[in-house]
Parts: sequence; structure tokens; C-alpha cells
Amino acid sequence: MSAPETAPRPLPPALAGLRGGLRTIWTHRKARIGLIVLGLFVVLAVLAPWIAPYDPKDNSFGRSLAGSAQHWLGTTAAGEDVLSQLIHGARISLLVGFGAGGISTIISVVIGLCWGYVRGLPGEVINFVVNLFLVIPGLPLMIVVATYLSDGGISVIIAVIAITGWAWGARVLRSQTASLRGRDFVEAARFSGERAPRIIFREILPNMTSLIAGGFFGAATAAILAEAGLEYLGLGDSTIVSWGTMLYWAQNSNALLTGQWALLFAPGLCIALLATSLTLINFGIDGISNPRLREGSTGR
Amino acid sequence: MRYFLQRGGWFALTLWAAITLNFLLPRMMPGSPADAAIAKLSQNGPVTEETRRAVEAQLGVPDGSLIQQYVDYLRQILSLDFGVSYAFYPEPVSGLVAQALPYTLVLVGLVTIASFVIGTLLGVLAAWRRGTWMDALPTVGGSFLTTFPYFWTSLLLLFFLGYVAHLFPTFGAFSATTQPGLDWGTVVDAVYHAALPATTMLITSLGGWVLGMRNAMITTLGEDHVTFAEANGIPGRTVALKYAARNAILPNLTGFGMALGGVVGGSILVEQVFGYPGIGFLLFNAVTGQDYPLMQAIFLMITVSVLVANLLVDILYGILDPRTRR
Amino acid sequence: MTGTETTTGPRDTPGGEAPLLSVRDLSVVYEPVGATPTRAVKDVSFDVGRGEFLGLVGESGSGKSTLGFAITALARPPARIEGGRILFGDVDIASMDHEQLRTQRQGGFAMVLQAGMNTLNPVRTIRQHFGDIFAAHRHVAPARREARAAELVRRVSLGPEVLDRYPFELSGGMRQRVTIALALSLEPQLMVFDEPTTALDVLVQHAVMDTIRALQAEEGFTAILISHDLGVVLESAHRVLVMREGRIVEDAPSADILHRPQHEYTRMLLSHFADPRAEHVSLPGIEAPEPAADGPDGPDAPAADGPDGPDAPAADGPDAPAADAAAADAPAADGPGRRRPGAGLELRVEGVTKSFAPPRRRAAGVLAVDDVSFTLAPGGATALVGQSGSGKSTLAKMITGVEKPTAGTIHLGSTSIGPLRGRALRELRRTVQMVFQDPYSALNPLSTVEYTLTRALANLTDLRGPALRRRMLELLETVGLTPVEQYAAKLPHQLSGGQRQRVVIARALAADPQVIIADEPVSMLDVSLRAGVLALLRDLRERTGMSLLYITHDLLSARLITDDILVLHEGRVVEQGPTAQVMRHPRDEYTIRLLEAIPDPARVHGA
Repeated sequence: MSAPETAPRPLPPALAGLRGGLRTIWTHRKARIGLIVLGLFVVLAVLAPWIAPYDPKDNSFGRSLAGSAQHWLGTTAAGEDVLSQLIHGARISLLVGFGAGGISTIISVVIGLCWGYVRGLPGEVINFVVNLFLVIPGLPLMIVVATYLSDGGISVIIAVIAITGWAWGARVLRSQTASLRGRDFVEAARFSGERAPRIIFREILPNMTSLIAGGFFGAATAAILAEAGLEYLGLGDSTIVSWGTMLYWAQNSNALLTGQWALLFAPGLCIALLATSLTLINFGIDGISNPRLREGSTGR
Repeated sequence: MRYFLQRGGWFALTLWAAITLNFLLPRMMPGSPADAAIAKLSQNGPVTEETRRAVEAQLGVPDGSLIQQYVDYLRQILSLDFGVSYAFYPEPVSGLVAQALPYTLVLVGLVTIASFVIGTLLGVLAAWRRGTWMDALPTVGGSFLTTFPYFWTSLLLLFFLGYVAHLFPTFGAFSATTQPGLDWGTVVDAVYHAALPATTMLITSLGGWVLGMRNAMITTLGEDHVTFAEANGIPGRTVALKYAARNAILPNLTGFGMALGGVVGGSILVEQVFGYPGIGFLLFNAVTGQDYPLMQAIFLMITVSVLVANLLVDILYGILDPRTRR
Repeated sequence: MTGTETTTGPRDTPGGEAPLLSVRDLSVVYEPVGATPTRAVKDVSFDVGRGEFLGLVGESGSGKSTLGFAITALARPPARIEGGRILFGDVDIASMDHEQLRTQRQGGFAMVLQAGMNTLNPVRTIRQHFGDIFAAHRHVAPARREARAAELVRRVSLGPEVLDRYPFELSGGMRQRVTIALALSLEPQLMVFDEPTTALDVLVQHAVMDTIRALQAEEGFTAILISHDLGVVLESAHRVLVMREGRIVEDAPSADILHRPQHEYTRMLLSHFADPRAEHVSLPGIEAPEPAADGPDGPDAPAADGPDGPDAPAADGPDAPAADAAAADAPAADGPGRRRPGAGLELRVEGVTKSFAPPRRRAAGVLAVDDVSFTLAPGGATALVGQSGSGKSTLAKMITGVEKPTAGTIHLGSTSIGPLRGRALRELRRTVQMVFQDPYSALNPLSTVEYTLTRALANLTDLRGPALRRRMLELLETVGLTPVEQYAAKLPHQLSGGQRQRVVIARALAADPQVIIADEPVSMLDVSLRAGVLALLRDLRERTGMSLLYITHDLLSARLITDDILVLHEGRVVEQGPTAQVMRHPRDEYTIRLLEAIPDPARVHGA
């Protein structure tokens, strides 16, 4: 049941699809909340030097202070302002989330689409590799690799997360590619003399934008959580200011015993909020890829 | 039958690949992990030739042929000899792993099963009562809890229930006074110590199952056979359980293996926070002490456990889906 | 015999006693979240008497299935009953609560859904399906349930062994029979059949309809048959409702619909219905070649695509001018590289066999095509007719080089198609092209018509820049999509099914091919759109001299546009000859069965 098109002159299809997609996400209440929260974090990260009251590494304050007018959330055991660290920490999480999420999405798109398109032995080989990556527990693998590369800094963390995190997305994209491949328009493109790469990336790929976007937000969520976990174990660069390292130092300085609950509570809450905002956005995107998830109440 | 053979073959192949990955990892890394490990070991006293060979088989000989190393490595795996830990010198690695493994297996195993069952039931309910609070609460609440970092949930529970309220122990699997044995008091003590780690893992992993089952069930509810069952006047309960949930659980099971890896990863963080003497805590100690032999052995052990769990799930799937039986 | 009432029906007009079902001013609206609501059923009123067999016919989007779901109280969001009443007996079904509705499904109204893979639960055996129904209503004593289930499957001509089977172990026709038996187990007063045979093969379709008719006559339940196929409905029903765009436009006894249709829309539907066995066959806008000699083309007929169904979203302009009209002033016909009719290459298929590796358990491989030989002369048109699984599509794949024959050769002129790979295979696309079955999936939903055609031209011809664009517009004109600039900018979802199929044809024509293989090009289209596409195909063949291999299960369309025919059955050619002759005087038993399976209302209602 296709609705009549009212616009007199259609936009280029890709743009029209993007606009329609954004509108659908925005009309979804949960997704709208997610977009707003994400937007706030992005503003916080971009404007951190101007918003934060102090330099996050300035340790000239009293140690382990409780919250006060000068230091809303108190200070760390090293004498740094907690609130300033919190605001600057958004930068790292967003960087890792979008960086590692983006890289692993690119890997999963390339592998997933080729996997879904090819038949026979190459497909079986990819199938095996992807399934291997799927079952091997990600965090232990990351821990092992990060331990060997112990002095690599944030770019190593991003690389490790991206390399271990693409398999799930590839699997989802693969099954959609395989189903689109059976559609006549793909066979027709072949009859129009198109070659495989163009069929995969020009004919098939644009039909999966919502799945890819969903995969991206999912991968970004996982990356943010993984980064925090690695930093917390002390496997990242513990001199940078991130939410994970804040918790690492809090744990190491026995914040549990000194009762500095804000130092424990705030960074974790920020991680959870940021990850939740991405998950909420994905609710909206799910509704685009799977219309059945959109139709609301069943009246039971 | 064909299905089960196929899954068995896949398991064998993955097992081989995981073992090989474990072989390649340290050899692909910059520097020489083996040299570093032996250097560290020698701080504890003279390194025997036997130990050196074990470490080298696991982490790589600087100039040896890769194939010879691979053969040595496989032989070493078969004899379960992973050398000596230097973080816990002079304990053998295999002994340390064997000591820690039961804690994690019981903790992760029970929690995962409980969380799968509860989460799936909530997901069924959410999809069946779609658009009501029974849908909104588990869906939104579950997805929010899922985004809590494992270690943060642990820290909060530990802080408030352990340090502030003094309701639960803050460290270890047993009280210092308890002599581990198979009496009632030991069991109670063990459960008491495992309560917080288990709760953390339960609430963090639950949301994934709820959402997965809800979405699978909503998709199934849209299928013709559900409409036809309703048209035939089959009671709602039967439709929900035997026609929708029974079918939706199949795709949800497929996600089990993938999710399991995540739960195992989470358990590492949880064990670290609670000082729970499982594989994860051991891995953390190996990592901080740069104890490569121990680390490699633990990684292999975790991977193999997850593979075995996946095989069990595959077998269950085969039993539940008649299409694989014929 | 004018207007005699049917002999089998108890009565055709609801009078005297109270009707079993009474629908008053019913409106159903679709309200998808985030989209504009559409009204699928508008103020519909009708009565169905006890024991009556009612047909409900309409094209896609007419609202007939929505109506069927509404009267069986199965309408679910986003569909919502907006107004009106549905009285079953003397109870308004809207007044029943959930449990009342559920319990009355036994002895009340039942629904048989469209034949598909999914009407049965894939993880339950057929016996369990019966068991669930018996347990739900307790109308059969536990001790008698097994016997009753066996009895019910026997009623639909199946053996008791199917009770042990899972749905995936049954064929499509068997699954549909099981579905009917399950509905029958409810001992309903009213049974609604929603497109019960649509996805099935002609012969199976015929057999299942026979079963439904026989059951209705024996059990005396009231039946409503929903279908897009006027032939099937007229053959079975006593009375027919014709639906269009959510309204009932005609409500009359079958014989009256057949002989004295009142509404223009009914007349249009009927005009697209013909018997391929007749001496003289024609549809609006297209006429079959005479059995003896090929006369000139039929007179200019009104636009065949004109009365487009409600699925035509574009409000701008009529669907398409008749192909004939486009042909008259098509300058494209003299483009560079045009061949004169008859100057092309001959397609020779010799002893072609294709076997596939055995599927799961069975040891033997599947012989999809078995020793098939034929020749398609330049400019000729041959039909390849058969049911699904007859090997016709596999044959098409081998001719286009997509699949390789296991044995035998295929030659186009002097080129052997079998060994072609990579670059040489792409070269073949200049000479052999394909028109796909489903116009809804053959166009990339995100690409404009212009992009689709431009890519084919850029890949397959040497045209570039303005010359390429000119040719692209010419192609649109050739297939009758004018004004061309407007159509070039459209996306597939802005086109109707018929228009999409014209774009697919235009794309196939891009490189001026010598052979076009059309794989069921009209089977997914509404009847009223078919003739136009068929006329276009025939017209193009006559103008450009290309040859046409027409693959179909539909004998009528084969009669209309082909000269020769091959009947395939289980991979083998069972009959072959001039189309008109084979249809009028079939010799092979299988061909005869195919022809007899075509619904023939005249047989029931008198001609």
C-alpha cells in the first residue's frame, strides 16, 4: 500500500531516504530523547575547555575533598577537580565510540556485503572467520592484545576495539545482503552489464542504510563500554583523563573506603547515559529496518 | 543427524582455530614476549631448561621455525603444560587455572542460565502485552541497565551494600575463617559471597535477553500461523507460548553464543572488583604482573569454555527445531 | 441460456429467512504509525444467506482481504474498524468480548488464509495442530480426537500419515488442504477463504478448488471466496461481489455477472478474461494471431493500462498511452544499429540437460531439464509453458549463461553460450536480454528510471553524454512512458506495476538485443494491466525483429503473443508445435490437463 507521493520534484533518492529516515527517528519518542542526550554530550565535549571550571590535570587543590561551591563534585585523591575531569572525559568516550564504532562499521560493511554477495567456497571461508570472531570472547581478547601493546595510548585502544568488534554487524548485514541479492533488481543489474563491486556498493548498499546506521550505533555503544572497561583495568593510557581512568584512579585510591561516592558515581553514570542515548536512537532505527517493530499496541 | 555432525565439525574447526589464534597472538606482537617472560622469571631465581622450553613453546622462540614451534605448542596443549607463573612463582600455570576455573564456571554458568530464562520470559510478556507498562518497563529498564558498565554496577553495589550498609562481604569467595569443605556452612558462605557478583551480572545481562526475545517474538506474532491459530480460536495463552514464544526462542538462542562471550568478559571486571578468585581475577593479576604464560593459558581456557557452551546451545537448538532433525 | 440460476446453489438472493452474515456500512481504515491513514474498506454493506457460496473479487488494493479479516474479527492494528456493523446471526460481533469471540470460532466463522509457507506453525506436527483446536474447544471427546483428525484430513483427500508430518515436509497444495481441514474441524457455519489457491500451481489450484466446492456442497456451510481471479470465483460462487478501491461496485448472481455485467469495472475485468482454446482469442488491445495465418495487428484499442488499479500512486496523467499509439510515432525504431526483421541470429538449443546436486537426504540428483531441444528463429516468438519445477526457468538461466548445462549445447548464431564467462558473458548481454517476473523487485527502489536506463546504456553501448541521454528518452518513448522527461525522473514506488514492467522492458531493450527472454512478465500484475504489457512485447518484436522466448504458466498469454509453444513437464518437452494448434488440438495428456484446469465459468453457468 504505497502512499501517494505529494512532493512535486523528488530529492535525489539517497537524500530523500536520509531525510525520511531522520524524520522517522525523530517521531519516535525514545529515539528523540536519545538524540537530545547525545547532542548534550557532544556539546559538552566540544566546548569542554570553556565549560570546565578548571584544567582537568591541575592537581593544586586539596586532596579527596568532598563537594563544595568551588568543587561541585569534590576533588580526586591527587587533588584534581572531579567535575572538570568529568566534562573532559566526554571527549575520550565520544572519540572512542565514534572512532572505533566507525572503523568497525566500515569493516563490517565491506565484509558483510561481500560475504552476502559471493557464493561457494569464498563465502564459506568468510563465514568461518566471522563466526570465529563472533564466538571468541571480545573483552578477554582485547585485554590480551592491549597487554602486549601496553604503551600504545588511545589509538591502540580504538584499533583493538574496532578489530574485535565488527563481526556482529557483518553477520547482520550479510543476511540482509543475501536476501537483497535474491531480488530481481540485482540480477537485472548484472544483465545491465554492471560489475560485482558496483552492484554491491551502489545497488545493494543504499538499501541497507538503516541497518548500517543501527550497526554503527550498536558498535559505538559496545566500544564506549569496552574502552571504559579497559581503562578501568589500567590497560589504556592511565595519564589521560577519561571516565574509565577516573574510575581506575578512584578504585586505586580507595575511594570506596574514603566514601567519595560522587567520584565513583558520576563517571559511571555518564558512561551509562551516553550508551543509553545511543541505544535509544537505535530503537528508532529498528523501527525503520523492521516495520513490525513500529506498529505499536496489538490491543491484547 | 546431519545437523549434529555439522555442528560437531564446526566445533572441532573452531577449536583448532582458537588454539591456533592463541599460538599466533604473542608471535605477532612487537618485541619478544617470550624473552620478556623469561627475563621476568629469572628475577625469581635460575630458570630451568624445562621452564624455558615451556615458555618458548607458548610465546615463541626468537629464531625458531614457525612450524616446529607450532608442533611443540600443540604437544604442550595436549599435555596441559603451560609452564610456571612468575606472578605466583613457582606455581605452575595449569594448577592456577584449574583452581580458579570452577568459581567462574559456576558463577557465570548459573547467572547466564538464570538471566536467559528470566529475560526470555520478560521478553515474551513484553511482546504479548505490547504497548502496556508490561512492555515499557522491561524494555526501557532493560536497555538502560544493559548500558551500565559491569565494573560500575559492581562498584556501586559494593560501595552501598558492602561498605556503607555492611550487608554483604566485600572481598573473596569465602570468609577468611571458613575452611573450604562440603558442609552446609561452607555452601551458605559461598552463596553469601557470590551474591553481589551474581546480582551485578544478572542485572547487566538481563536487558539483552529481554530485548532480543521481545523483538523476535513481535516478528513471530506478525506471521500467518499466529493469525491462523487465533482464527481457530486457540486460547491466547497457547498462542503466546506454543505458537509465538516457542518459535521466537529459536532465533534468540542463536544469539546466545555471541552474548555469552560478552557475559564472560563482564565477569572479568566483576571478579576484579569483588576480588572473587575466578578466572577473571586471575587474568587481571596476570595482566598487571605482565605474566604472559598465565595470560595466554587463561585466554585459551576462556575461549574453549565459550566454544563448548556454544556447542551445547547448538545441540539444544537442534532438539528444539524439527527442521534440523530430519 | 440467459440468466438461469445455478443448479447447485440453494438460493442466490437473500430474502425470506434471516441472513447468516449481515454487513452494514462497514469501513476499515489503515493507520500505520508515522504514515497517512488510508481507508481500505468504505461503507460496505451486504448480506450472505445460509448455505450460500459468495465470491468476493477485486484487484490488488481493492480492500477485499481487509474486508475478509474484518468480518472474521481478525482485523489487527494498523487496521481498525472505523464504522458500521457486522452481524453474525443476530449478534453484532463488535459486542462480543475476547473470550466469547474465541469460543464461537467453533461452530461460528472460520478463515482459511492465503496459501503460503507460513499458515502452519513450522515446529508443530499436523496432529498437534488438530490437538490444539480440539483442546481449545473440547467439542470432540479426547478418545475420538485421533479418529476425527484422520477423518478430517481424509475429507480433503489426504492420508492419515500426514498427521505425523511437520508443515515443511508437505507440498504447498498439501499444506493448503491441511489448512482447510483444520478450519473444517471447527464445524463452522461460515468459512472465509482468502486467496486459497493463489500461490499454487494451476493443476493443484484446480484440485484444491474442486475440494472446496465439494466440501461446501456436502457440509452445507456458508462460504465466502476472496480472490483476484474472476474465473475461479465465477466457477465456484453463486453470487459475486466485485470490489474496487474499497467499495462494492457490483453485487449479483454469478450468471448475471458473466452474462449481464452492469458496472463498467466488472465489464472491464471480464474483457480481460478469455479461453485460450477458442478459435479467436482477444483481449483489449491485443489479439492472438489467427490459427492459420498471421494477419495484421488488431485495430487500435483503448489504452490497456488505462483503468489502472488503485495501486497506481502517481496522480499525474494516465498510466500510459497504448503501446500501439507509442509505436506509431516512435522515431526510435530507426536508431543506429537497427536490424531489419528477420536479419538476427538464430537460437539453437540442442539436447540440453541440467542436473543439480542432491538436496539433503535424497541420494539422487535432481534432473531439472532433461534433453530439451528447440530452435528460436530470428524474429520468432516461442512460449515455454509449464508449472513450477518444470525446468522452464532453469532453461532460461542456461540460455542467458547464468547457469551452465550439464549436457547439450546452446548456440546463438555461431556462438556457443555454455562456455562463456566473465567478459564474454557480459558481451552476451548485448544480444540476449531478460524481462523479469516481478516488476516490484526488478527495479532498485532507490534508483530513478533515468539512472537505471543510463547504466544499462553506458555498460552495453558506446553511447556517451547527450547521445546517451537522447537514447534513454527514446527508450521510454518506445515503451510508451510519455512524457518521457517526467517518467525519467521517477522512482519505482511512484509507478504502477504496469509502468514498472515497461521500465524493465525498456532496460532490456537498451542494447538492441536480438533475443529477449521474458520470464512470466505479467504474472505479478493485475489482470487489467496484463494486456498492455503483452501488447507492448509483441509490438516490439514485430518492429525490431528481435526474437522472444516467453516463459509462462499462463496459457492465455502464451496464445496471445507467441507463434510456437513448448510444453515442459518435469524437465521434458511433452508437446511442441504452433501455439494455436496445440491449444485447440492438444495431443499430450499433460497439456490437456493444463488446459482443463483453466477455470471455465461458462461450463457452470452456461455459455
